[in-house]
Parts: sequence; C-alpha cells; structure tokens
Amino acid sequence: MQQRQRIKQYILKNFLFSNDDSAIGDHDSLVRGGILDSTGIYELIMFIEEEFKFTIAPEEMTPDNFDTLEVMDAFVTRKLAE
Amino acid sequence: MSSVPARVADIARRHPARFAIVGDDRRIRYAEFWDEAQRFANALRARGLRPGERVAILLPNRIEAAVACYGCWLAGGIAAPLNVQGRSRDFQAWLRHSEARHVVYEHSHTDATDAISAVDDAGESAPIERWPLGAEHPLSPPAASDADGPELDAAERIAAEDVALILYTSGTTGAPKGVTLTHGNLLANASAVVRYLGLDERDSVLSILAFYYAYGASVLHTHLISGGCVVLAQNLLFPHLLMDTIARERISGFSGVPSTYALLLERVKLADYDLSSLRYLTQAGGAMSPTLTRRVRAALPDARLFVMYGQTEATSRLTWLPPERLDQKLGSVGIPVDGVELRIAREDGSDAATGEPGEVRVRGANVMRGYWNNPYASAAVLHEGWLRTGDMGHLDADGYLFLAGRRSDMIKTGAHRVHPNDIEDVIVELAGVSEAAVVGIDDDVLGQVIKAFVVAPGLPLRSENMVKAHCRERLASYKIPREIEFVSALPRTASGKVRRAALLEPSTAS
Repeated sequence: MQQRQRIKQYILKNFLFSNDDSAIGDHDSLVRGGILDSTGIYELIMFIEEEFKFTIAPEEMTPDNFDTLEVMDAFVTRKLAE
Repeated sequence: MSSVPARVADIARRHPARFAIVGDDRRIRYAEFWDEAQRFANALRARGLRPGERVAILLPNRIEAAVACYGCWLAGGIAAPLNVQGRSRDFQAWLRHSEARHVVYEHSHTDATDAISAVDDAGESAPIERWPLGAEHPLSPPAASDADGPELDAAERIAAEDVALILYTSGTTGAPKGVTLTHGNLLANASAVVRYLGLDERDSVLSILAFYYAYGASVLHTHLISGGCVVLAQNLLFPHLLMDTIARERISGFSGVPSTYALLLERVKLADYDLSSLRYLTQAGGAMSPTLTRRVRAALPDARLFVMYGQTEATSRLTWLPPERLDQKLGSVGIPVDGVELRIAREDGSDAATGEPGEVRVRGANVMRGYWNNPYASAAVLHEGWLRTGDMGHLDADGYLFLAGRRSDMIKTGAHRVHPNDIEDVIVELAGVSEAAVVGIDDDVLGQVIKAFVVAPGLPLRSENMVKAHCRERLASYKIPREIEFVSALPRTASGKVRRAALLEPSTAS
C-alpha cells in the first residue's frame, strides 16, 4: 500500500471509525475539521514513527507537517530520504 | 462607566496605539479594534438589527470573534457566541432557541450554513441575516460616508441591566440552557478578576480558551479592560508552538484547565524555552490534583499560580486561591472573589457548619439573570438571589472552599462540559440500539473521558466503531465516546431512572 494510503487508513479507522475512503480528501484540514485533537495528534505521531521506522522531533510537530494527508505524505517522504 | 465595552472604549480613546489582540495573521491596536467594532455595529443596524435582538457568533478564536461581540453590543444587540465545534443539529437548536436574527460564521463552515438554511427553510421566522466571513468577505466594511461614521458614545449608552451575552451550556436535549448575562454581570466579574490578578496595560495573555466558554470570555474581557493584549492560539495540538509564542511575544499570563497543564508538562520540555516573562498562570475548569499543582509550580517557579473556581451561571469566577496560600491550602479553590457571597447549604437549605459538606450556593453582581427563555430551569437554580451551583464542598475554619464533586452527571473532559443526555440521545438513534447511558471515567490527562454503555440487541458483535462513527456524524468530536461497552441492561432505580453512578462500579461489566 502507498504510504499516503497507509496513513489515510489509520486516520479513517481510528478517528473517523469508517471504511469510506471518500470521508477525507488529501487537502482537508484535519485540525480545523476536528479530526485531530490534542490526544489524537500524538496517537498519529506514534503510528507514523512505528509504521515508517523513524523518530519525529518535537519541532517537527507542526501544522505544516501534519494538517493534511498531502503534507503528511510529503513529510514522511522527506524523513525517509534523510 | 457601567459596562465592559465602555471601559474598552475608554482605553481605545486614551491609548489608541496599544496592541489589543494578536491573531494568526495580524495584530490589531485598540483604535483599530474599536473602529472595526463600530463599523460592524453600523453594518448590523443598516441590516435591520434592533436593540435586544440576538447575534449568533459562530467563530473559532480569531480577532473577528471579538470584533463581532463588541460590535453587536455597540449596536444594542445581545451576543450569543456558539460552540464552533458543535454540529448542525446543535446549531439549529441554539439558533431556534435564541431566535438569532444575525449569524456570523466562516463561509467554509458547512455545518453552520446547513443549520442556517434548515432554520430558514422551516419558515418559522424571517430569514436570518448571514455574515459569512472569508478572504473576500471582511466582517467590517469600510464606512460608506461620514453619515455612516461611528457613534462615539454608543458604549456609554449601554446600561448595566442590559443583557450582553447568552452562553449555551448544554446541547440539544429538551430546552437548551442559555446562560443569560447582563453587562453588569460581566463588568462586576471582570473587575474582580482584574483586581486579584493585578492586571494592567503591561500584561499580555496567551489565550487558548474559546470565547464561547465563560472562562475564555473572561480572559478576553479582563485583559481588554486592563489595556493589555490578548494573543490568540487555536488549540493545544502543537504545544511547543505555544511555548515559542510565549517566548517570542514576552507573554505575561497563561490560562488553562487542568488538562492544559497536564499536556504541557507531559509533552514539552519547558526548560528549553525562555518563559521568564510569565508572571501569572490561572487554572479553572475543574479541580487540579495536588500532584499536578506541585508539578506546575516546580516547572514554572517564577510564575504565580492562581487556582480558581467558577461557573458560567456566575459569569465565570466565584473563588480564587491567593498563590501565597497555595501550600497551606493545597486542594482548596480558595476564597470568594470581590462581590461574591458564598455559603454551604445542607439538604434542608440551612447553613452547614465549618467542615461539613453541602451544596455551594452563591450570590453577587456576577450571578446570571437566568436561563434564556427557560423559566423552569432558572427557577430550579435561582432562589431569593442565591444561585445553587450543584457543586458539593465544604469551608474550612479560614473560609477556604474545598470542592468534592457535583450533584449532576455533567462530564468534564479537557476544557469541555458534556451533558450525558446529549450523547445518549444520539446513540439511541442508531438502528439496533435500545438504550444507552454515558458516564465520565477518570483520565490522567483530560480529567475525564467519555464512556458509553450501550444495550444493542440488534447490533452485530464488536460494533463499537459503528456506534462511534454514528456519533462522529452527529456530535462535536470531543463528545464521541472514547470507550463503548455493550451491556445486556442498564442499572435502574426503582422508579426506572438510570443509575449512572452504578455504571462506574467494577461489577457492572457484563
């Protein structure tokens, strides 16, 4: 499965409780949409660290890296290339 | 000056260049803030707002939320800031109940537009005046001519007995409870808070608390009447960014609920940031454990920590614990704020003795007029000037209040108050569910999280996610149960009422 799809499936299952692939779009704000909250963001970060085998530094936890599926996908790609 | 807006108008006249609010994308001086509020007031009047009509404000914390509130007041309206995290069903109930004639909202907020359309389509009243906010739709249009210019004395005409705010404390079940606060309520409580915090024009506060909650509204108004600056942040998702802001903006004050401090301590290395500008921390929104209190003080020893207690029905603040008494009175929420009388009542209404537990009852200039259009609910809590808080506690020999739970089933999760009925009503709408009961269970970080006990003979096994998905479609995200447990029946009293307390006992699991 593509990495973006793996992240999306995790969000669908754990935050939207849904199998409906259309429930979130690549550019939808997860913060403004109320999908991520202050505890959910850490569950998501732990998932990404485990799934993609890298560590996320506190200063990397920003909306620029986590607000949408698209920016998360790009962030993971950058981290894997490091 | 008998109102908060009159006090802020005075600051704008005397110190126009001082910064009032810092938002995501801009910072606004007092003169600009006042000018925008007056232009919005003019625009409201031009579109038909009459004195005493309600203006619903459905915005996250942003400069325009404050402008809309003050502009509404200058136009003679009553502001009804609605919880922006609600869903369409919540908004419809609140719009109908408040009979709001105008709604301010972000144009991309589909639940808001759905709700306005649903209320309009019902045809029960004239169409709602819409104020969609977006890049091409600023809140305050420029004045068209001198004739449309500001009325400088509009704030002075506001009377203490005029209704200022309606704050909804419950959702859609039955008649919503809209706490109705006058301008006199707001000024009395804000002035008391300013005094004990010692606020002045040098202060700036980082505000993560939503203005549609009493605590967030109090943070906004107390700092504006002091001539200070309110720096807005949306949430706690990225706590290190908040610490960056405190260091960069040289913030002097920070306000939170217990879970705010728990999250910060757990997720940020505070020692990595220059937080030396912090003069005071305030905490309200439920009891903070002595352990967490000690950790906060150890992490930020130079900031004075104010433990506080209050209720929306009392505008916001009822008691405060002087920081220098924190060690001797650990676990207490302190003494009444100026202008508040407080007593502990026995079941029969008589005064409890020192140390004897009972219900906390209060009176003072901060106590609400009542619940909007809900005389039965008002009569249940207001009696001969006294407000029955529903909170249980006792006073020690020095008059310090110690709380010990609530009479009601209300759940406190993070900064939110949740009434179980709001969730139960939604769960039982799911086909296959016959009954549901919702309780708050202890959580180290959030204080409580929501657990639902569900009787669902018609659902397949392991349908937890089906219930959660159903809730997600219809409820604010913070109301979605963290845990679902399927049970064969709910424990009930002889009269048939669900015994929620029994659900918290370990033997309940079926």
